[in-house]
Amino acid sequence: MTSVTTPAAPTAVGTRLRAAAGRWALSAAGVGGVLALWWVGGSATRYVPPIGEVAGELPHFLGQSSTWVAVGTTTQRVLWSLAVALVLGTAAAWVMRRDGFWSRVTASLTAFAIAVPSTVAALLALYLFRRDPLGVYAVVTFICFPFVATMLRQGMRELDRNIGEMSDVYGLSGTARARHVVLPQLVPYVFAATRNEYAHAWKVVVLAELFIVNSGMGYEFSQAFDHFLLTEVLLWLLVFVAILLAGEYLVFRTIERYVLSWRVL
Amino acid sequence: MRGTVPASGPADGDPYLELRGVTVKHADRTVVSGIDLALRPGEFVALLGPSGCGKSSLLHVLAGLAPVAGGALRHRGDEATDGLRGRVRVGYVFQDHRLLPWRTVGQNIEIAMKAAGVPAAEWDERIERFLGMLRVAEYRGSWPMRLSGGQRQRVSIARALAVEPDVVLMDEPFSGLDEVTGRAMRQELTRLHEVASVPTLFVTHSIREALFLADRVVILSHGPARVLKTLDVPLARPRRHEDPALARLEAETVADVLREWDLTEGPAS
Ligand SMILES: Nc1ncnc2c1ncn2[C@@H]1O[C@H](COP(=O)(O)OP(=O)(O)OP(=O)(O)O)[C@@H](O)[C@H]1O
Ligand SMILES: [Mg+2]
Repeated sequence: MTSVTTPAAPTAVGTRLRAAAGRWALSAAGVGGVLALWWVGGSATRYVPPIGEVAGELPHFLGQSSTWVAVGTTTQRVLWSLAVALVLGTAAAWVMRRDGFWSRVTASLTAFAIAVPSTVAALLALYLFRRDPLGVYAVVTFICFPFVATMLRQGMRELDRNIGEMSDVYGLSGTARARHVVLPQLVPYVFAATRNEYAHAWKVVVLAELFIVNSGMGYEFSQAFDHFLLTEVLLWLLVFVAILLAGEYLVFRTIERYVLSWRVL
Repeated sequence: MRGTVPASGPADGDPYLELRGVTVKHADRTVVSGIDLALRPGEFVALLGPSGCGKSSLLHVLAGLAPVAGGALRHRGDEATDGLRGRVRVGYVFQDHRLLPWRTVGQNIEIAMKAAGVPAAEWDERIERFLGMLRVAEYRGSWPMRLSGGQRQRVSIARALAVEPDVVLMDEPFSGLDEVTGRAMRQELTRLHEVASVPTLFVTHSIREALFLADRVVILSHGPARVLKTLDVPLARPRRHEDPALARLEAETVADVLREWDLTEGPAS
């Protein structure tokens, strides 16, 4: 067509911007679709509160301190459980990184833990811990750690052999090797594990709170549900979704862009 | 073939590195069979062999990254069959660049220098000097993935030289470069070697490159590699790419090598 050659850099920037705009448009379309469904559902049935009513309640709901207490309690449970799951999962992955007796033992325990449904884990915790909030932490940790272990084991087994040889020749050992050679290769796996299990932990914590304690978002959910306060159920659902999306878009994507910036195209 | 030994390269005393009947295997397959070779202090030896004959495998073994399947290695007269690694400081240019992609070019060199015990005060100057020598100074702050293949390879050469190596192993370091850049790099490498005299083993399958750079060229057979012949390069230094004597020598060697490399199944010489 035309013989005009565009300089490389602006094209690249333009492509990237367009790609970013495309991603945001898709996300917006997704949210819009959900709202549209809700709108239809709200006007067609009696049990789904109309969108306008829920939106009207939102400011009051967010102004209550009890809302934020519940959010804070649950957030704290998620973060601590996730942290412990990451530590335990890393330890298990370390044991499983090479074949051997303990590796096989840990692998079968991990496989077993993955197979236990969250509901069963929550009921077991109820027996073990009674109504102690510790049970909530235990359930979330127990459900999340085997996934972390599996993911990190894969990372540890796929360490680059060629880079390893280079490090041997140049005498990279100890902390220098951990810092410059091993950890950077594990970062993408740790990252994937954290981001997946963050979302997973939020889903599990609500369930565990519903069974075990009388505080936190899960408990509030069940209370609202038991009293047929469907508007409130939806308000909690909105908060829940907002927290998950904020984690993904504001926290994880930002960190990822920074930490994995060497993977340039 | 020719007997004139160049004035450089002291030949007395124990060789820096000596291979006696070194055999290398990958699983059960022999890829290098019974190599005898001596690298003298300060000497530049080129290993010339056809693709797949086992050159990279041999360098791996010399560095200590893979075990010797037969024969022995000696370093300055001492038994060193498990390779040079850990014994002396090795500057190794792998056939692929093997940079850490998650560290910048400058950091890659710095990490290697730090591990080698080069004083921190010298890092900056050394990075500048060697990147400059290899014409990649402007990429010091770049991620390796942003560089071309040839540029990465040059950074990996800079890393090998910056660690103050006691011995240098290079595996086809210039094979990815264009003719002009390649010449400039070879020129720089000889200049550096004249100053520093670090014993160097240089793998290549370019006959001209081997003759231009080396004091001695060891010609290997098709795999599993044997030494077909050793050639003392009778060219005075400094050498020039345009030197007609180099071209003549190249033509002779090509004729020789072609005969040898064609007769792969022939009896050992
Ligand atoms: N990791 C490995 N496992 C099994 N066989 C291997 C391995 N690496 C190399 N080989 C085999 O060993 C032989 C020698 O390989 P090597 O890489 O040493 O050759 P080379 O002389 O360096 O070749 P080139 O000039 O193409 O780099 C080849 O036949 C190759 O198939
Ligand atoms: Mg090779």
